[in-house]
Amino acid sequence: MNAERSSTLSAAGLVGPATLYVGIGLLVPLAILLRYSLNQFVPGKFMVDALTVENYVKFFTDGYYIAVLLRTVRIALITTIICLLMGFPLAYVLARTRTRYKTLLIMLVVLPLFIGNAVRAAGWMVAFGNKGVLNASLMGLGVVSEPLEIMFTEGAVIIGITAVNLPFMVLTLQSVIEGIDRSVEEAAFNLGATPLRMAYRVLFPLAMPGVLAGTILTFILAMNAYATPVLLGGPRFQMMGPLVYGQFVQQNNWPFGGAISFILMIATLVLTLAANMLVQRRYREAAV
Amino acid sequence: MVSAVAQARPAEIASGPHRRVRIGRWALNGAAALALGFILLPLALVTWLAFFRQEIPSFPPEGYSLQWFGAVFNNKSFVGGFLLSVQVAIAATLIGLALAVPASLAVTRRRFRGRGLVNALLLMPLIVPGVVLGTAIYVFQIEAEIATGLPLLGTTAGLIAAHALIVIPWAARLVSASLAGFDPSIEEAAKNLGAPPWTTFRRVTIPAIWPGIVAGALFGFVMSFGNLEMSLFLVGAGRTTLPIAILQYLEWKIDPTVAAVSVLQIALIGVAMVATDRYVKISQVV
Repeated sequence: MNAERSSTLSAAGLVGPATLYVGIGLLVPLAILLRYSLNQFVPGKFMVDALTVENYVKFFTDGYYIAVLLRTVRIALITTIICLLMGFPLAYVLARTRTRYKTLLIMLVVLPLFIGNAVRAAGWMVAFGNKGVLNASLMGLGVVSEPLEIMFTEGAVIIGITAVNLPFMVLTLQSVIEGIDRSVEEAAFNLGATPLRMAYRVLFPLAMPGVLAGTILTFILAMNAYATPVLLGGPRFQMMGPLVYGQFVQQNNWPFGGAISFILMIATLVLTLAANMLVQRRYREAAV
Repeated sequence: MVSAVAQARPAEIASGPHRRVRIGRWALNGAAALALGFILLPLALVTWLAFFRQEIPSFPPEGYSLQWFGAVFNNKSFVGGFLLSVQVAIAATLIGLALAVPASLAVTRRRFRGRGLVNALLLMPLIVPGVVLGTAIYVFQIEAEIATGLPLLGTTAGLIAAHALIVIPWAARLVSASLAGFDPSIEEAAKNLGAPPWTTFRRVTIPAIWPGIVAGALFGFVMSFGNLEMSLFLVGAGRTTLPIAILQYLEWKIDPTVAAVSVLQIALIGVAMVATDRYVKISQVV
């Protein structure tokens, strides 16, 4: 009993500082932000103390803001699906390869993660501009006579976000596939399965925890994208991340900016949980 | 990459026709190469642009030059941004490690009430979106300034305090992972042989979790150095971090100078990764 108590005490000493730091540095700010989002914004007078839900009502009754939310969700869904489709083959090859280049290949996937979204968006700006690599090549080949309008479109933003999030998906899937025993694949082949059928019926279900984790991660990141929509979508292209920044820093409307922050966070959480439950139920049924 | 699929070859040949297996292998490796190319293409294009002779990014280039790498050092916001980013990232990493290493030890090794909750809380800064984190810390620092009278918002100290918050989850995750594979009976053995607790910690525990600490430091540093969304709300006028300086430049225009600063950043982080890989296999900690 005594030993247990002293062990609890020393555990408190070890986790205490970090817990306090994150509690004060994260939970308290979120609480203040929530409180701010219930205040009123009076033009000229800035923020006025109140207890009202009018900022949330304003968001959901204005077609403009609803359109921004729907666009954000749509782009997040599309990019997540593309990430899954493109990421799975690469993750599989990385997980199963036994070449000496494995470390190098994984580093090539990790490196872009460390570089920052603005720099990677810059790469696509080089490609998509009127005189960019893509248009110059297409016009040089005579495929098109006028440069294609790619910059500042939803397509450019989707390509940009997909490339930004793909490494997260690949690394998550790769670590799970590495844990799957190769002999189950061989068993499927021995039973006459084609490679595609083996992937769909054996590998994919076994990799489901990784698929789920990777999907959730890329979806959250896409919902909250900032640099990519700003640089590739242009000043008039709005997604939720840039919208929060505009309201907060440019308009100084803290109550409304706070409300949009919470709407973004809750929308992300609800969609993530819904997807999680849907997939789990499907796979429980499949297992029966 | 080809040998990846070659592993499964005998079984495939035994069951299916040769040609289909060969096509399947090509399709798989092709799809993987496509995805890898897609990830690396933007970095390759930025690197190419950095060496152009003309300032306007039009193709094909008129020639090649190294002049833009010199131009980077004459740009005050890039140089100042780099120095601020390095300063903030080093301080935030040290604070984050000092908090996260003991916490990970307790969370992975001790049984106490609320353990799961503490663990979830430590990982929470990863889950809260960067933009939301930025707005929340912004209002918190304003309230703290009003309450204490000390300047916080827009100061280096305020930025470091916020960045330490995003270092903690990475450090906690990586240190915990390295602790999971560490047998506590080795510590027991050291104690039984008469080593005091501090000596046991210093001579047995620390060396065992060293890879996790190095990886946590690298990830914490890089996550802090590259942070954009949260920092946007917390930097002061005229004092920005490097990622924000790059973003603001790109909102205005793209030219070989901003490409050159990007290349320098890619090179720096590439070197840091290779150096870290000597201590701990990056492929095993990501």
